[in-house]
Amino acid sequence: MRTGWFCGSSGERLDEVMAVYMSAGRSYTGLSQAEIYCHGGSEVVKLLLDQLLTSGARAAEPGEFTRLAFLNGRLDLTRAEAVAEIIAANTETSLNVAREHLSGAYAEHIETLRKALVEILAEIEASIDYPEEDISPEEHRSNADALSQLISTISALNKSYDSGRILREGFKLVIAGRPNAGKSSLFNLLLKQQRALVAPTPGTTRDYLSEWIDVDGVPVNIIDTAGLRLHSGQVEKAGQQVARQLVSDCDLLLWIVDVSRKRWRSEARSDLSHLKVRRRLLVGNKIDLLTKSLEDGNSDSDELIQISCLARRGFPKFVQRLARQVHSSMPDLTSGLVVTSARHRQKLQTAARQMKLAARLLRCHESPELVVFELRLAADALDEITGKIYNEEILDQIFSKFCIGK
Amino acid sequence: MTEPDYDIVVVGGGHAGVEAALVAARMDRRVAIVTMDAKRLALMSCNPAIGGIGKSQLVKEIDALGGLMAEAIDATGIQFRRLNLSRGPAVWSTRAQADRVEYTQFVCDYVERTEGIEIIEDIVDGITVRGGSVAAVQTVSGRQISAGAVIVCSGTFLSGLIHIGEEKIEAGRMGEPAAYGLSESLRELGFEVGRLKTGTPPRLDGDTIDWSLCQPQPGEVPIPFFSCRSPRRQFDQVPCHLTYTTDETKRLVSANQHQSPIFSGQISSTGPRYCPSIEDKFHRFPDKESHQIFLEPEGNGTNEIYPNGFATALPRDIQKVAIRTVRGLEQAVITQSGYAIEYDYCPPSQIKPSLETKSVHGLFFAGQINGTSGYEEAAAQGLMAGVNAALYLEKAPPFILDRSEAYIGVMIDDLCTRTITEPYRMFTSRAEYRLALREDNARDRLFRYAHKYGLVESDEVEEFSTLQTRTNELVALLEKKRVRVADLGSAGERFQKADRVSLANLIRQPNLSIDEALALARGFDDRFQDSYEPLQRAAILIKYSGYLDKQQREIEKFKRMEGLVIPDSFDYRGIVGLKKEAIEKLARFRPSSLGQAGRLEGVSPGDIAILSVHLKRRGVVPA
Repeated sequence: MRTGWFCGSSGERLDEVMAVYMSAGRSYTGLSQAEIYCHGGSEVVKLLLDQLLTSGARAAEPGEFTRLAFLNGRLDLTRAEAVAEIIAANTETSLNVAREHLSGAYAEHIETLRKALVEILAEIEASIDYPEEDISPEEHRSNADALSQLISTISALNKSYDSGRILREGFKLVIAGRPNAGKSSLFNLLLKQQRALVAPTPGTTRDYLSEWIDVDGVPVNIIDTAGLRLHSGQVEKAGQQVARQLVSDCDLLLWIVDVSRKRWRSEARSDLSHLKVRRRLLVGNKIDLLTKSLEDGNSDSDELIQISCLARRGFPKFVQRLARQVHSSMPDLTSGLVVTSARHRQKLQTAARQMKLAARLLRCHESPELVVFELRLAADALDEITGKIYNEEILDQIFSKFCIGK
Repeated sequence: MTEPDYDIVVVGGGHAGVEAALVAARMDRRVAIVTMDAKRLALMSCNPAIGGIGKSQLVKEIDALGGLMAEAIDATGIQFRRLNLSRGPAVWSTRAQADRVEYTQFVCDYVERTEGIEIIEDIVDGITVRGGSVAAVQTVSGRQISAGAVIVCSGTFLSGLIHIGEEKIEAGRMGEPAAYGLSESLRELGFEVGRLKTGTPPRLDGDTIDWSLCQPQPGEVPIPFFSCRSPRRQFDQVPCHLTYTTDETKRLVSANQHQSPIFSGQISSTGPRYCPSIEDKFHRFPDKESHQIFLEPEGNGTNEIYPNGFATALPRDIQKVAIRTVRGLEQAVITQSGYAIEYDYCPPSQIKPSLETKSVHGLFFAGQINGTSGYEEAAAQGLMAGVNAALYLEKAPPFILDRSEAYIGVMIDDLCTRTITEPYRMFTSRAEYRLALREDNARDRLFRYAHKYGLVESDEVEEFSTLQTRTNELVALLEKKRVRVADLGSAGERFQKADRVSLANLIRQPNLSIDEALALARGFDDRFQDSYEPLQRAAILIKYSGYLDKQQREIEKFKRMEGLVIPDSFDYRGIVGLKKEAIEKLARFRPSSLGQAGRLEGVSPGDIAILSVHLKRRGVVPA
């Protein structure tokens, strides 16, 4: 391990960095490998990366590191996806789901689905290969019924994906608002530790901050957009774009307003009208500065949660509301099985789509070999989840899921 | 080096042996068939029928590759019909009852007329290997016949043992001796030899059957012949009859089940689940009160009847009583008892996709020795082994069909990748690309190979390309021609929103058979009046068009993996990351491609990925 300066092509010092060399067989990929640790902030990283790329380096393709690790025997493919989830697992609930996948309970569940499908397939195949055994129309109807049931099971499993994603990637909570509304204060309060700088003047936080908290077992990724203005005229366009992306991707937006400002209602109304967001909570900060108390509701039907970060007022109620929001987006964990991988969801969707096609053919009494044709593709899709069918694309899919290395 | 007695020696003159010899002779090889009885070539040891579901596709493929089976049944069949006509054309399957005696006679005559084939009446009891290559066969009469290649098509004769109740008879089939020395010789050469079982029903005297109690099943008119080469002869077809077992059959068979060698423990080898004995049927499906029995005539010149569905190994006296509990068979007299037969086979993990054995150069296996069952399966392998033996002698690359090209490819690939636990029979469900592997397009799929290896005459190939052109023209016409829905009669009711539809759209409608659609189409345009075959072929392409496109994409994916060849000599030991089970399976089956390796049970996608990296690293597979 070394420390030193990262220099540009003309020798100028770009950043003071730390570097680690790992010899072959002792790195993640199994190949000899070096890692450079630089200071935070996307500007520095971007600068160093640019320098490396212009000097002849190549950026890793999505998942390439894990793929290399796997190909060098450092990682078993069948476990690779579960490993990815373990890496991502930040809280207990999330870990349980990941362990479930590792232990194969999930694979077993898929296998059960596959078996049910194979049973239907077998029935129809039998009617083709043994026409003289007279498979009656009633049996065809029972196949259609069994198929509908299977489709709804898969649909339910698929619905768990959104919540499954929350388990894997965390519940994304974005804190936004006008400058100096108290975003970082709230962020810090939520972290229960002093992490971000809090200053009375706007613009002290560069970029954004991201941290994790545990809300009743659910990993919540809180993002403070402190340095990012959502509206024009304040920072460069790129920053706005990042902020807008964060807001539109999040599971919940906390919009903070400074209720000590006179026009906070109309400001909030106009600000929020520009934002596309799944769900939001309106948080009124600085109630300690008010002389008379506010009414909870407002004309825009957004319920206002009143707090004071400085005076630590209204916080228990706020956390309660937050927890309720987080939990309402969670899957029913009593069923125990949740789809957490985008690739799995895609395959399940394919399977369900194929089954629907087959069910339609069954209903209009189409020839059984065509029903089977669709169902086989459904079975193939399920097989690709349990890893029974090999093709190069599956591998590419799996590994592209690991966003740039580990 | 002295010239061998023959280029190729074929051991056994059954369905596999005959096709092997004929095709090798056509490829200008000097061939000898060593068989016990020169007058019993291609004998039907079990049921007197050719074709059926999955099997008929094999027969059409054999025909397209210049084999004899289709012509033989066309010349000697007494009833023809197609099964599954209510389903789509991919699963239409022709089946014919044969005149057993005439069939064999036809084949004997054909072989006799064929130049380059000699028949030696003898029994092979040993194989000589020199320097890893086959050199000769020995016979029980003490002959040593040298050959460049040997194809073993031994059927059920390898250490065959017949069981009827407690009775055991050493035989290859009823009335013919078994062959013993050969199994021993194969073991000495290092081959693993296993044992399988199959069975056959008793034969009945047709004069003692009350036909009025059975349901006749007539043949189909016009007669659906198998071969594109056969003369379209006209004749009165003989019906089959359908009858059922009764409560008394169930009671009697169940009560005596313990006397069957299948249940007494006398037979431990596995029989086919798809063709169970009657005692097994009642045992495994206790809820089913009655089973169908098809009464099939064995020929024109005989009254003998084959009760299909009543295979049994019960003692002779019980068979006599039990058969008389079946409707219509109350007075029936058995002319030959049913029996079970055990025989040796060599687990086909020991053969390559060319059907050559992995351990002995120039030694080929075809038919039941590979664990298959059925005349069609045997004949198809015989044909492929014959071509490949000839190519082997030319030092040319083997002729291998893949799973997307032919049922033959599906079958041989299954043999090379699956562990056989019961006699292997073809089903359409074994073919993942079934929609593309149809009876009607066997020549489209295989004629180029037949042409390449000189298995068919070139004027036949030219004639066929005319048919292909005509088919394509008709596809375009049917797509283009739009008709008024009102003119379609009741078939038009399904089109509620349109005034006019294309004939292609009409053909694609579910619940409307191709024949019905074509009958309508022919009324709209004179150009649809020409012979039925191109029109039907066009309609099939239209009916399946969307599916075939979708399937083609699957086939392309499949082909990519098949193209990644694993060298014969590849050593799997010591490859880091491969699971132990995978190494064992890979070493045992020695797959010829990465695709084939992926189809082995116990070999995971992870193993394949690791394998692919190693192959790439060694430059075997392009990175």
